[in-house]
Amino acid sequence: MIDLANLDFSWLPKYSVPLLWGLWTTLWLGVVAFLIAVPSGLLLALGRLYGGWYLRLPIIGFVDVIRFTPLLVQAVWIHFALPVVTGQSLSANQSGLIALTLHVSAYISEILRAGVIAIPKGQWEAARALGLRPRQIFQKVILPQVWPLVMPPLANVSVATFKLTAILGIIAVTDLTKAANRVNTFIFRPLEVFTVLALVYLAIGLVLAWIAWRIERHYAAPRTGRSAAVVVLTPSIAGRGHGT
Amino acid sequence: MELEPEIVLRYLPQLAEGARVSVIAFGMALALGAPLAALICAGRLGRRRFFAGLAGGYVTVFRVIPEAVLIFWMFYCLPPLTGYQVSGLWSGTLALALISAAYLAEIFRAGIQSVNAGQWEAAKALALPRRTLWLRIIIPQATRIAIPPFINFLTELLKGTTLLATIGVGELALQAYVLGAQTFRYLEFLTAIAVIYFIIIFPIARFGEWMEHRLAAATR
Repeated sequence: MIDLANLDFSWLPKYSVPLLWGLWTTLWLGVVAFLIAVPSGLLLALGRLYGGWYLRLPIIGFVDVIRFTPLLVQAVWIHFALPVVTGQSLSANQSGLIALTLHVSAYISEILRAGVIAIPKGQWEAARALGLRPRQIFQKVILPQVWPLVMPPLANVSVATFKLTAILGIIAVTDLTKAANRVNTFIFRPLEVFTVLALVYLAIGLVLAWIAWRIERHYAAPRTGRSAAVVVLTPSIAGRGHGT
Repeated sequence: MELEPEIVLRYLPQLAEGARVSVIAFGMALALGAPLAALICAGRLGRRRFFAGLAGGYVTVFRVIPEAVLIFWMFYCLPPLTGYQVSGLWSGTLALALISAAYLAEIFRAGIQSVNAGQWEAAKALALPRRTLWLRIIIPQATRIAIPPFINFLTELLKGTTLLATIGVGELALQAYVLGAQTFRYLEFLTAIAVIYFIIIFPIARFGEWMEHRLAAATR
């Protein structure tokens, strides 16, 4: 057993620079991957919804391969196996960013696809009756209604993206987790180093989760109001809802 | 570039050993996590506000902290804290179990809360004993709702077991990586395990989605 009075945090100021660099890497990787993943996820969703089979099939294959294999395997594959195919080796940060972006794009494309499908057909029909072109309909009528629907799941994906960055240390991306590991090999104070590490991740994660929760509440409120109206208006449908 | 796919078959025993470790981690995380999840779910739904707050805090903390970070924490901090030598497999599995408990508790809670209030009232009106109420009325209906997210969670947990590679536990992903490094055949080994994970997870996930659609159609 360790004596808790012997905990020593005097190393913290001395090693704060590499740790802050690690934190910076974690944050920019997560933010950049997420910001690239939203538009590329939208393109994937559009291709899958409206493209021909030559577009749809590869997209379905890509999204499923990404969703049904672990990020760790994807990151290691991109960093070590892809250079064998392309003959071009990537830096750890490049591989990590590519892996994280592809991973998050696949999940976001599924969310956006579900969001587009959820818009009632009547919206398309009404817009067409008003003489809008398909492109206009999508940009001006459908997409503005999709965003509020998908904001809560997108906020959750942003929290997940932040959590996933911690995996990238496996290919020597010096993120916060990897930096803490390195510091620990110098001073060998695992209890202190990894407790500080866990608390930092917890603090950032809680802030992100709180923002996600606020977004969810903001966008969910009017929708529940509407569905409550539906329940009142059509008791026969609502009655079959649960149980029986 | 020449491919040598048959090299993977030559090292099949090592990969099988990795798969065995992965299965142990998966099974033990589930076996430890599920009962803990039931306990947390009971705490959250119970009348005692203290326990409800405690359970809610647990769920928040363990859903927010990255799996890899908790695995490192367990690996390095459990031995000095407890005074016991804990293997990487066990500390990693314990970390996965604690996180699983948080996710499963939410899945259980969502299932129970989705049972129509009328079912509770009807059971009360019939003066059913609590035991019967739970075992015959609530849990069967809650289980139906909880099955698709539970299946989805199983695929997430299976993917999560690869994180034990970060603390050097020789599960499937690490075995393949090490074999790739030893033979300089990264492409073959890493593609092989990607395919293995896909072949296992794809049908489970598709089954879960199919169940979800069926349930949605049945309750619409």
